[in-house]
Amino acid sequence: MAVYRRGYQRYTEGLTSHATRMMVMPRFTWEALLSQKFVLILLVVSMFWPLLCAGYIYLANHSELWQGLGGGFKKYFSINGDFFAIFMKAQSVYALILASVAGPGLIAPDLANNALPLYFSRPLTRGDYILSRMIVLLGLLSLVTIVPGMLLFAMQAGIAGGDWFWKHWYLGAAIFVGFTLYIVTVSLVAMTSSAYVKWRVVAGALVLAFFFLLAGAAEMVNSVFRVEWASTFNPGYALGAVWAEMLDIEIPDDKPGAFECAVFLIALSGGLLALLARKLRAVEVVK
Amino acid sequence: MNPGQQIWMIAKLELGRVFFSRRSFWVYLLAIFPTVIFLGHALDFSLKAKQWGGDRKTSAEALNQVQTGMTDEKVLQLLGKPINDSIRKRRIRRDQDPAAEKQPEVRRFMMYFDGKRRVDLRFEDGKLVSRNMRLLMNFEEDRKVYAGMFQFFYLRLGIFFGCLGIFINLFRGEMLDRSLHFWFLAPVKREVLLLGKYLAGLIAAALIFGTGALFSFLAMVLPQDASEVQTFWQTIGLEHAFWYVAAAMLGCVGYGSIFLAAGLLLKNPIIPAIVMLLWEGINGFLPGVLQKLSVLHYLQSLCPVPAPLPNDMPAVMKMLLAPAAPSSVPLAVLGLLALTVLVLLAAMQAARRLEINYGTE
Repeated sequence: MAVYRRGYQRYTEGLTSHATRMMVMPRFTWEALLSQKFVLILLVVSMFWPLLCAGYIYLANHSELWQGLGGGFKKYFSINGDFFAIFMKAQSVYALILASVAGPGLIAPDLANNALPLYFSRPLTRGDYILSRMIVLLGLLSLVTIVPGMLLFAMQAGIAGGDWFWKHWYLGAAIFVGFTLYIVTVSLVAMTSSAYVKWRVVAGALVLAFFFLLAGAAEMVNSVFRVEWASTFNPGYALGAVWAEMLDIEIPDDKPGAFECAVFLIALSGGLLALLARKLRAVEVVK
Repeated sequence: MNPGQQIWMIAKLELGRVFFSRRSFWVYLLAIFPTVIFLGHALDFSLKAKQWGGDRKTSAEALNQVQTGMTDEKVLQLLGKPINDSIRKRRIRRDQDPAAEKQPEVRRFMMYFDGKRRVDLRFEDGKLVSRNMRLLMNFEEDRKVYAGMFQFFYLRLGIFFGCLGIFINLFRGEMLDRSLHFWFLAPVKREVLLLGKYLAGLIAAALIFGTGALFSFLAMVLPQDASEVQTFWQTIGLEHAFWYVAAAMLGCVGYGSIFLAAGLLLKNPIIPAIVMLLWEGINGFLPGVLQKLSVLHYLQSLCPVPAPLPNDMPAVMKMLLAPAAPSSVPLAVLGLLALTVLVLLAAMQAARRLEINYGTE
């Protein structure tokens, strides 16, 4: 029978669960990403800094090892908010590079090949599609951010004991929430670039340019106008200020505070989500 | 047609695409951004002078009498109501000594203006701890700010990403558009095609960023005090303007060749771009010999004013920072040109071997 004569009817059998459907895309994309040499190299390189930090935590908790150096060294070996802030800033660089490599391939091919109708004709909403694409980055970036961060916190809590944990539990929460916020911001930037720029190469450059150029432009405005408020529009600074608040470390008086930065980040994320939703449609009317 | 004419013909064909394509508009934005900011600074100066002048002005003699250690009440008595006045209580941190909680530290910031100078006073627990006076429009300081802006923003980011966009587009863009085979079908050598495309990219980038550098320099200089500006133009002004424009154009020569080659040699040119961005970023912290293996070192050697260090740079970073002695001007120019020639030769080799396989793009 010719194909055009064939009749079709709606699929009436049971559906897989919502969570299973959502995880289909990440499963395939992770496999593809982890087969890329550069991604693997980057993942390995990004583990050096956490390893060094682990060594530092070990040293900080074994004062007998550096007793000969004198009591003055104690202040250099303290595990507090400052220590985790430095750790988080270093790891966020790797996460950004990973996002610029992995992010652009998420949506651009679907748009270039008109694949969105295929996705949206299945039991998958636009929100599900965005979320499942974000899960890809969340999983990948958490390998260099949340996972080593929480391991370091657990290591410190394990060595220093329960007292330290009860007094400093907020550091663990700050690492988790802070990195999650970072990953969500970076993922939204990467996905929006991927949705609006057809070419993966250019989309990757755009992710990097977004963070570096905004940081440069904010610093330029600060130095030309002799102000500090422009730092609010530097996503790197804004995230750092929110982290500082959560890690309970001080932000200089003249710099924008965590509240202003949080408002900017929320507005930025909202704007990026709106841009994404505008682009991701199952059908497009071309006039 | 000789190869020279062929190169020029290809460049002419490409120029329109590079200058007027929709993808190039953001490059114009990058080039013009510093000019807009310096024009905004001039506007801000005239608005502030008008807003803070008149009744709100404080006499310079009274401001000079203010000494550190004075109480905030005494300063208010002496100078009257400040233009800005804010109070902040220091937050007690969880790790801090509990004894500190009994006496929370109060910080107060006041700002006065004497018609020319802005004076920022900082009080801690009611005592003046710092007094920062500066001219609202300070040519000397603005020139340093321009030097910092030029080296940290314009060269490292603006020209870097601008050239990345322009030059990668020349070959990789055509592959993605599936139109490169039309060029390869033309009776021209691959080397000639590469040089023609490079020339087009270079003319566009050098014109866009050279003009951007010149306009931003003028936007910084022209709103300053007229007599200072006149003296500046009669002494070192033209020389400074020339070297800033030359550094911007030579930046396009160097970065352009590297990104053109990256677009030919690698399937994903973002990887070398990331490596290069990091390499140029840590340039100042590397040993002297390694610093000379970067485009930025030669460009900075051409800049007439050294860039000031960022104020908020941590002390450890300042300690590790060891900028190599700048190269002499002829060496800097020759070094950059030699690097460009080498990179273009490698790109020619790659272009000669290039086989189109659009399916994998």
